[in-house]
Amino acid sequence: MDAMQYEAPGSVDEAVALLAAADGAAWVLAGGTDLLVQLRADLIEPGLVVDIKGISELRAITPENGGFRIGAAVTGAELGEHEGVKAVWPGVVEAMELIGSVQIQGRATLGGNLCNASPAADSVPALIAAEALCSVVGPKGRREVAVAEVATGPGETSLGPGEIVVDILLPERPARAADAYLRFIPRTEMDIAVVGVAVSLVLDERGVCAQARVALGAVAPRALLVPEAAAALIGGTVDDDALERLAAAARAACRPIDDMRGTVAYRTKVAGVLARRAAGIALARARSE
Amino acid sequence: MSAATSFSVNGGTVRVTAPPLKRLADVLREDLGLTGTKIGCNAGDCGACTVLLDGRQVCACMVPLGQAAGRAVTTVEGLAEGGRLSALQAAFQRHGAAQCGICTPGMLLAASDLLARDAAPDEPAVMDALGGVLCRCTGYRKIVEAVLDVAAPQADSEPAAGSAVGARLAKLDGMAMLTGATRFGADAIPADALWLRVVRSPHAAARFAVGDLAPLYDANPGLVRVLSAADLPCNGFGVYPDLKDQPVLADGVVRFRGEAVLALVGEKTALEAIADEAVPVAYEPIAAVVGLDAAMAEGAPLVQADKPGNLLIDGGLRKGDAEAALGSCAARAEGVFETAFVEHAYIEPEAGWARRLGKRLELHVSTQSPYMDRDETANILGLAPEQVRVLPSACGGGFGGKLDLSVQPLIALAAWLLERPVACVYQRPESMASSTKRHPARIRARFGCDAGGILQAVTMNADFDTGAYASWGPTVAVRVPVHATGPYHVPHVSARGRAFFSNAPPAGAFRGFGVPQSAIAHEALMDDLAAQLGLDRLAIRLRNALRPGQATASGQVLQASVGLAPCLEALAPPWSAALADAAAFNKTGGAWRRGVGIGCMWYGIGNTGLPNPSTMALALGRDGALTFYNGAVDIGQGSSTVLSQICADALGLPLGHFQLVVGDTDLTADAGKTSASRQTFVSGKAAQLAGEDLRGQILRLANAGPDAEIALDGTALRVTDGAARHVIELDSLPAAADGTVLRGEGSFDPPTTPLDDNGQGNPYATYGFAAQLAVADVDLALGVTKVRKIVAAHDVGRAINPIQVEGQIHGGIAQGLGLALMEEYIPGQTENLHDYLIPTVGDVPEIEVIVVEDAEPLGPFGAKGVGEPGLIPTAPAILGAIRHATGVRIARVPALPHRLRAAILAQAGPEDDTP
Ligand SMILES: Cc1cc2nc3c(=O)[nH]c(=O)nc-3n(C[C@H](O)[C@H](O)[C@H](O)COP(=O)(O)OP(=O)(O)OC[C@H]3O[C@@H](n4cnc5c(N)ncnc54)[C@H](O)[C@@H]3O)c2cc1C
Ligand code: FES
Ligand code: FES
Repeated sequence: MDAMQYEAPGSVDEAVALLAAADGAAWVLAGGTDLLVQLRADLIEPGLVVDIKGISELRAITPENGGFRIGAAVTGAELGEHEGVKAVWPGVVEAMELIGSVQIQGRATLGGNLCNASPAADSVPALIAAEALCSVVGPKGRREVAVAEVATGPGETSLGPGEIVVDILLPERPARAADAYLRFIPRTEMDIAVVGVAVSLVLDERGVCAQARVALGAVAPRALLVPEAAAALIGGTVDDDALERLAAAARAACRPIDDMRGTVAYRTKVAGVLARRAAGIALARARSE
Repeated sequence: MSAATSFSVNGGTVRVTAPPLKRLADVLREDLGLTGTKIGCNAGDCGACTVLLDGRQVCACMVPLGQAAGRAVTTVEGLAEGGRLSALQAAFQRHGAAQCGICTPGMLLAASDLLARDAAPDEPAVMDALGGVLCRCTGYRKIVEAVLDVAAPQADSEPAAGSAVGARLAKLDGMAMLTGATRFGADAIPADALWLRVVRSPHAAARFAVGDLAPLYDANPGLVRVLSAADLPCNGFGVYPDLKDQPVLADGVVRFRGEAVLALVGEKTALEAIADEAVPVAYEPIAAVVGLDAAMAEGAPLVQADKPGNLLIDGGLRKGDAEAALGSCAARAEGVFETAFVEHAYIEPEAGWARRLGKRLELHVSTQSPYMDRDETANILGLAPEQVRVLPSACGGGFGGKLDLSVQPLIALAAWLLERPVACVYQRPESMASSTKRHPARIRARFGCDAGGILQAVTMNADFDTGAYASWGPTVAVRVPVHATGPYHVPHVSARGRAFFSNAPPAGAFRGFGVPQSAIAHEALMDDLAAQLGLDRLAIRLRNALRPGQATASGQVLQASVGLAPCLEALAPPWSAALADAAAFNKTGGAWRRGVGIGCMWYGIGNTGLPNPSTMALALGRDGALTFYNGAVDIGQGSSTVLSQICADALGLPLGHFQLVVGDTDLTADAGKTSASRQTFVSGKAAQLAGEDLRGQILRLANAGPDAEIALDGTALRVTDGAARHVIELDSLPAAADGTVLRGEGSFDPPTTPLDDNGQGNPYATYGFAAQLAVADVDLALGVTKVRKIVAAHDVGRAINPIQVEGQIHGGIAQGLGLALMEEYIPGQTENLHDYLIPTVGDVPEIEVIVVEDAEPLGPFGAKGVGEPGLIPTAPAILGAIRHATGVRIARVPALPHRLRAAILAQAGPEDDTP
């Protein structure tokens, strides 16, 4: 552990400069709920650790054009206590709130969940369904990237050397819009998703689904946006028939692994069931808007 | 890289110089000496390390010191107010919310966080707040009750002389657990101790050679000594006198993944810096024998070269002619049932330290069996048993897993050779990889009854995977045939138990010694018979319940305390109500179906057909001190309290006078192991006899009759016998060297007879009985089971302490639920608490305990044991509920969602696709 160098900069620029100047391994530390476990298990090599929790702009939730800009170091607990975000993006908030226990909630950040690039990360399908954008700052300046583009595979991201995610932008919502996230775990709490499904939809005045996005977690090397599943919902009243087509499309998109938490057949089946149920919840929420 | 970091702890400012990435949990324990914060996993999974950071609960193992800078930390040591327990701590004490106490600090802090924001939370809020802290002992219910009851007034009146037995008494050692003062295996390690780290095999089976160690020593100046098999005077241990087949350090061959190969001894930081790859061990993997089929296969490679057929033991029992009787039965049921390796998952990993004192060795360890530790360690080191003293630390959960040696011989050897204190604390993954497990079983059984549902014949063939070494395999294989029938009268029985070696962790003792596995079989078959005959499932059990005067499968005629029938009768009203409720629920439709199941069990208390004595002593000092010398370690089940209650009433003095010396092998007599639910019955009886012995001596001194009252007042013993009063001045009596003036002793060895070649005999002096029902909902589409309610009726003979009895039953139920639904240890895949799932607070349902007291004449005040009985009928009842809900008979546990879903699908046929 003595081989680790620790820095706690006060600004994004300083953090980026430290990371860019590092020779050897360099890690961003947010809540540490992934990083410290990986360090302990010798899964990652020691080097420089840049703690971003002290950077105030990364800790803020700011309303913006009807949506919200959420600092990358905002924790699950903070997001869950934010009535504004909860009202507009209940699915994103419920996804983030599923992470770990209360203890983990107080530490785990949205940016960390995203950048850890676990295929089972709970917030990611919800963010993808929400069409969230994230701002990335690095030695070459600032860029915007769709959340779906951040993780490229298990533990792999598209972030370049010295780049950090600074915030995530959840867009404005029209009337009669809502989202929902459901995951499946074998135990009541404290386990990683066997399957996660996020559904976001918008109804028109007649109750017809005008827009939809469906994303799946834990059934492929990274979270998937499934346009075919969304297509099953769009243009109709989300009836039983549409839900069955949604489930079929969700199942068809799955490329899961087989392990002690579930077989391929089972995960595929669960994806369909959860897609139906999540769509049902999103629909009910949108109707009650 | 070290730096100074300031923050506040429990209101005072501290400044710590340590690396900023050092975990707060380690800083609190090592740098600040606040060992009330526990470490169970170091990975965020168990919550034992929960503290408050600026008032919010966090896992201290997940907080780098740097992130605590300038912030306020509250630990368990900061909860008591002005030397008095806080209202929350007092509520925990009242409710018996701490059993072993290792999770208690984390639970208290998690609850404090909630209560600070919501002074009167409801049950869901409490469950939510506690969701991140695992408890393996209590089944959580008493913890939840305590938090909900925090506002109730504190009333701790002590019971008067003679009324301790039966009282709902708080644990005598509970206070220390609530303030963080209790010292567990890792909590009192001397600062000058060297540390020991075990290098373990990454292979299930391999030959290996240790290379040149010089470069390792050169690169690591803090490395003092590398121990290998060659350093051990006797490199074999095991629980049987003639079966020492497990090496302390493997000698050229490893037989399971996680087996100890070398032990590195040195400075803690130096050991931490050594990468596994830097240790020169060259492995040559060989074909591993995995699972029962492979172990039993014709020509299978031998796990231990001198054990042909990989067979450890073949035990059996025969009464009457089961085959013939089955042939003439009106109804027959049969099935094959399989269970997995199950991990004990005590929250405290193995830990302890040793030191050499001249020609003697002192072992401070977390253990269930101090005397066996002493004898085994002495044997391994080539010492006389008297040269070894075991001083057990508090034990943060055992459940059978801390009966076998773990750190003991290693730290003992290192301390002996190096003449320095040496400590070892297992990491969670190594604890899980190296410790014993519950035996995976494959049980083939047939049950037959007449047209009236009366059982006529049972056959059972139980094969167990015993892993690489014998451990308690023979005990399991012998106990199961005796219990094959379940708690029912069956005239014709043929039962066989075999255990086979494989390249897996040794399967050892785990709450129930194989009986939980066989209960799954017999209860499923009872349900089958009920279904075939159209009988109610409870009714068929009641018809067959063993009764006084009837003979068991081993031919033992039970005389008294055979309480299954009363348990079933007590269960009948909730059973009918639950069935009606399920029927109503299922009318409403939806994805969830509700089912109700029932499970019965019996369990022989103590060792099977073997002597298992216990001796207790009670001494009065010339200074008036009353010391209870109790060699039975309390692993959370409450024996220290329960035995004291018994002893106090036998003596006739209030419990408040009792001072305890527990488990110290120099000071206490051998009370045997804390296993097989035997301490209340066996050591309890010894404690009663010790109390009576001392009482008799006092009465004789005072010339008083048997009904005289005794009071202890300073150094004066006042004896009141009707109108006559006597005073015995203790300081005027002749004293032994340690100041003792009067000493009572009691020994008890339950009357049993060994089993003969046909498994016939009286293997146990008494049996516990229970009947439980479970209500469970199953999501048909996902195969998920949610247990809603358990009602548990247990015949405990006499509840010496109803709080402890309920606590044991709750805890057993939680473990039974894990066995039924989620727990499966797979070497290399589930070696931590995020891949190996144990029930959390949210998984354990409401539990109603019905205590039946059918007194056992041999037991202390009628008591018998209750440590294991709660676990045994739980899985059968849950599986019965699943079957009632879905129609699927689960033949393999755990009933993981994907397995249950597949079974539902297989039953419904391919066209089913429940949304
Ligand atoms: C007990 C337990 C239970 C858990 N349960 C769940 C669960 O149910 N669902 C789930 O999805 N996850 C779960 N996790 C994983 C983890 O808590 C989450 O992924 C969490 O959101 C990570 O956030 P963090 O702030 O702690 O990340 P950190 O550990 O600080 O960082 C995670 C990774 O992201 C990088 N990183 C962090 N922030 C940034 C940034 N702004 N820019 C660039 N890189 C960054 C880090 O370098 C690191 O590689 C659990 C973890 C534990 C210990
Ligand atoms: S020790 Fe921190 S969560 Fe287990
Ligand atoms: S009391 Fe909770 S783990 Fe022992």
